[in-house]
Amino acid sequence: MLEHGGRLRRAAQRFGIAAEQWLDLSTGISPFAWPAPSIPASAWHRLPEDDDELIDVARSYYGAPYLLPVAGSQAAIQALPELCAPSCVGILAPGYAEHAHAWQRAGHQVESRSAAVLFAQAKHYDVIVLIHPNNPAGDRFDVATLLQLHGELAARGGWLIVDEAFIDATPEHSLCMHSEREGLIVLRSVGKFFGLAGARAGFVCAVPSLLHALRERLGPWTLSGPSRHVLKLALADRAWHEQMRARLQACSKRLALLLSGHGLIPTAGCAFFQWCSNERAAAWHEALAARGILTRLFASPASLRFGLPGDDAAFDRLDNALGEITLARVRL
Amino acid sequence: MLAAVLLDSALGEPRRAHPLVMFGKLAGTIEMRLHADRRLAGLGAWCLAVLPLVALTWWVLSMATWWLWWTCSVVALYLAIGHRSLGEHAQPVADALAAGDLDVARASVGRMVSRDTALLDASQVAAAATESVLENGSDAVFGALFWFALLGAPGAVLYRLANTLDAMWGYRTPRYERFGWAAARIDDVLNFVPARLTALSYAVLGHTACALRCWRRQAPQWDSPNAGPVMAAGAGALRVKLGGAAPYHGVWEARPELGEGAMPDAGSITRALRLVRHAVVLWLVLVILLAWIVGGGAHA
Repeated sequence: MLEHGGRLRRAAQRFGIAAEQWLDLSTGISPFAWPAPSIPASAWHRLPEDDDELIDVARSYYGAPYLLPVAGSQAAIQALPELCAPSCVGILAPGYAEHAHAWQRAGHQVESRSAAVLFAQAKHYDVIVLIHPNNPAGDRFDVATLLQLHGELAARGGWLIVDEAFIDATPEHSLCMHSEREGLIVLRSVGKFFGLAGARAGFVCAVPSLLHALRERLGPWTLSGPSRHVLKLALADRAWHEQMRARLQACSKRLALLLSGHGLIPTAGCAFFQWCSNERAAAWHEALAARGILTRLFASPASLRFGLPGDDAAFDRLDNALGEITLARVRL
Repeated sequence: MLAAVLLDSALGEPRRAHPLVMFGKLAGTIEMRLHADRRLAGLGAWCLAVLPLVALTWWVLSMATWWLWWTCSVVALYLAIGHRSLGEHAQPVADALAAGDLDVARASVGRMVSRDTALLDASQVAAAATESVLENGSDAVFGALFWFALLGAPGAVLYRLANTLDAMWGYRTPRYERFGWAAARIDDVLNFVPARLTALSYAVLGHTACALRCWRRQAPQWDSPNAGPVMAAGAGALRVKLGGAAPYHGVWEARPELGEGAMPDAGSITRALRLVRHAVVLWLVLVILLAWIVGGGAHA
């Protein structure tokens, strides 16, 4: 199993600070969760039905003609490599590590490369996997460039897979509305934007034949009844989406400003996190953890990812801790 | 000087809006604008961050009436020293170790040093805290007192700002190798005399022969020219074994051995704090005597 953010209990044990006292900035999940209502008893009691309104609501929210609900985009990340003949796969790096892991395990030839290399040498690959915006490195692409890349791959029967887990705050950059094209697969997650990571829900947008194969592979009832119920309401809540996009952007900008002020200058970021490539990342990580603030440390390149602090008190706490680290002259 | 030290021991460092934290932000902003992989860029950034504030302190003092001059000097020195905060950070480590609570001791020492505290045993936790007290005694107290005695409040401000910039920029990493060069060298120069006076004070107030022996033999092996004498003499003065391999971010780094005698424990931390405290008293007495002999008395 690969490392992920959000391992609060382990950090609590390691640093001797009780779990409820931490400020957890180790994930890219929005701190402003969609307020889930109570679940009707029938959602627990009955088997989930595929033909409830969820698909229509999701189609309208994502702007995708065809989609399949899955138990988090992770389920699709693991299953897609198994639907594909042995291929040469180019995966954006540094990026969300589960992609390379899954393709490798399925026996494909995997190359982890920067965006520049993937675009320049598209001919070399049968499948290209992009994370957009990239996590943690923040790479962004415009729709026209992506469609051109897809065209090149699809002409040879190849795939372009775009993991859009962090795109909900900038939906104009999404490829969902183009996902009726053969060989284009878009992955969406409700964990980050809606702050519903515990629901383990996501969607795959692609042509019906591929969705059908994926569904066969994953089996029935991939989403639980309670998850379907909550998603139907969350995806339809337009006013909340609008308000949240602005709020996340503002919050992320504020975080970038705060970090820069302490000499931790963000290398990149998106509406959900700021990412600092810094040779002393490990030391910052430890010093912050000693003050009960959990960040996500990446070894290569040495870097830290900061999720959004959820309120003024959390911003103040981060600000004070970074100031204290400078003041205490901890040799970083 | 006495007033500032008393103020520090009564109040400790201000929790909110410490001017040094604001200075840290200013330096962060300057770095963001001016960072370039050149020594000259680093020197320029250093000057821009430090010199205006030192000049401002000097200018305010030169305009002030004597009581305002006195108040400003006391406040400036008070903000430049962090004697009480040494104890506030180190005493909880000693208390936890004495109570046998290794987890709390590790958590507390994690706020003082940048090591993988989860990998430390009780004696290594004590060593980390003792080293930090001895070294920071020199950085956070004696350096500022020395430059205050020599140049007044602008000296203390200069010293503390230079010291803060060294902590922010003085690293041998690709980003800071050249940009941080000026910050690191200037801090070395400003610390050269005070670090040796600190080492001498530790030696005089502890096991003198042992401290001088360790200073002579062990200090040259240490990678920092100023921390070497301070830590070696301090370890010798306490007759305790410090230094040696320590885990930094997943790698056990070899470091030279310091001091001689027993392995460190909770008592070593308390004794290191006492050593620093006694040295502060010694410095105050000497400065007052010196001022009295010279006939000014104003700095005291």
